[in-house]
Amino acid sequence: MTKPILEVKDLAKYFGGVKALDGVTLEVPERGVIGLIGPNGSGKTTLFNVVTGFYVPTRGEVWYAGERIDGLNPNEVFLKGLVRTFQIPRLFPSLTVLENVLLTPPRQVGERVLTAPFRSKWEEQEKELARKAVALLRKFGLGEYVRARVSELSAAHMKMIETIRGLITDARVYLLDEPAAGVAYTTARELFTFIRRLRDEEGLTFFIIEHRLEVLMDFVDYVYVLHNGRLLSEGKPDEVMSDPKVIEAYIGR
Amino acid sequence: MLPSFDAFGFLVSWGTFLGIYAILAVSLNLEVGLTGMANFGKVAFYGIGAYLAASLSVYAVLAVYHVAAAPYTTEGIIALGKYGGASPALDLGIFAASLVLGFIIAGCVGYLLTYPTLRVGPAFLGITLLAFGELLRIFLLNYQPLGASKGLSGIPHPFLWIPDPVLRERLYVLVVLGFLAVTLWFAERITNSPFGRVLKAVRDDEVAALCMGKHVPRVKATVLFIGSGMAGVAGVLLAFYMSSVNPNMFVPAVTFNIWAMVILGGMGNNKGAVVGAAIITFVDRILTFITPNLGITIITPDYVRWMIVGILIVLVLMFMPGGLVPEKPIKTPAWEAVESLEKESKEGGSGGDEA
Repeated sequence: MTKPILEVKDLAKYFGGVKALDGVTLEVPERGVIGLIGPNGSGKTTLFNVVTGFYVPTRGEVWYAGERIDGLNPNEVFLKGLVRTFQIPRLFPSLTVLENVLLTPPRQVGERVLTAPFRSKWEEQEKELARKAVALLRKFGLGEYVRARVSELSAAHMKMIETIRGLITDARVYLLDEPAAGVAYTTARELFTFIRRLRDEEGLTFFIIEHRLEVLMDFVDYVYVLHNGRLLSEGKPDEVMSDPKVIEAYIGR
Repeated sequence: MLPSFDAFGFLVSWGTFLGIYAILAVSLNLEVGLTGMANFGKVAFYGIGAYLAASLSVYAVLAVYHVAAAPYTTEGIIALGKYGGASPALDLGIFAASLVLGFIIAGCVGYLLTYPTLRVGPAFLGITLLAFGELLRIFLLNYQPLGASKGLSGIPHPFLWIPDPVLRERLYVLVVLGFLAVTLWFAERITNSPFGRVLKAVRDDEVAALCMGKHVPRVKATVLFIGSGMAGVAGVLLAFYMSSVNPNMFVPAVTFNIWAMVILGGMGNNKGAVVGAAIITFVDRILTFITPNLGITIITPDYVRWMIVGILIVLVLMFMPGGLVPEKPIKTPAWEAVESLEKESKEGGSGGDEA
């Protein structure tokens, strides 16, 4: 594997007596599509929450591109280049698809309250971003939805836009929380094909929580398995799927 | 029908109240309509502006003319009446200083007061501000240097040096409407900008906005600074118009009146806030003007006003849930760029078909 872009070292997060994460060490290589699986309550989402700045870890470190990022706020983590999506797509319903994409670029001139009233100061930047956003949406076959409200989109399109909007920035790592949840089997496969395409064409890195193993396993390079806040197993998809410990954790005794 | 009804006088009086309340409604709309922050303590910032103007002007006039009496004593009020209109430069200077300080101080109080509550959710923010408004009123009710329950009077009107009171009022309504125009211009500009887009994103989903790299607490504090500052300016304008202030002008009902304006006009639309303010202040003024002529004493205009406002809100919410002027999509130059791109691709597309 290539050098890791995201590293988690001995990460722990306790909620009172509950050890949601208890010493997890893993790494995500650049341009990898890496899976994170485990039964419910095994700590997957907690891991994402610590990595993206929602929780401060009880112990351990998170490194991104050679920089330590644990303890930063979620907005600061995003500005470093990590994009996170949610199980239920969280686009902004009162904005159009274009505006959802336009919101993403950081530090826009027109987002400062003192420059916002003076259109000439940010007009060019805004138009440039709009052209980029339209090009991006067209590239992934969503050009016709530029003016659409988010509520008019299908779940799969919402999930795609959640990921695409990161492309307008120079974000490199995407943490996806159950991208295939709530969509049909074929749509789920399309979404994962789309993820692979983004990796191949744009050089992005993906770290994906997914319960639908039948979909996930066909598309990922490497899988980590969490159980009770600890790493239970790791390896290539077929290795993990034949690991008796994993089977036991999933099916139970 | 109503022989003593002075139509022009009515317009001037309505225009002044409309201007002051529309500034408040636009500022509340920025907070609640665009950013989703339930400010139930709007009246506090209005009161801060009014009391700042009142105290600054009465103490300044007494100090300049070396009057030893306190402004809330009989001698003080007499001295204020005597020296009030003596110097145009002083009156206008006090007015200008009050406006600037009113904006800054009310804004800073809003910023400081709300910053610690921003992280605990919208309900807490609303309740904290509501409580602050009441605390401030009760404090003023008992604080002697600011006149306690009697308040402060004899605030020199900025145009007091003009002998004709009618002309004075007409000039003042222009000033008030001028401030409304600036407020509305600013609010419309920031609404239709990338900043406005961030505000709506924060309103829709705070957590998602945070994940998109937006500094949500700072955005909210900024909006509360601006909104509170605008309310402070409205308070300054009110103090100079009424020439006196007292704590009971700033009861929580004032806040809810402003909310009614925003709901009636249309949440998330600045022009709607002005329309809402216009309707409610119209009802208020017309009742105040007409009632003395009708000779009815059983029902005071106050009760009738609340009933009319209540009925209006119910009707509007039943038939036009978005308000009279519903929220509009954000207009930024991005759409111009999109349109020209769409035109290009359409031309390109049809050319391809022909070939």
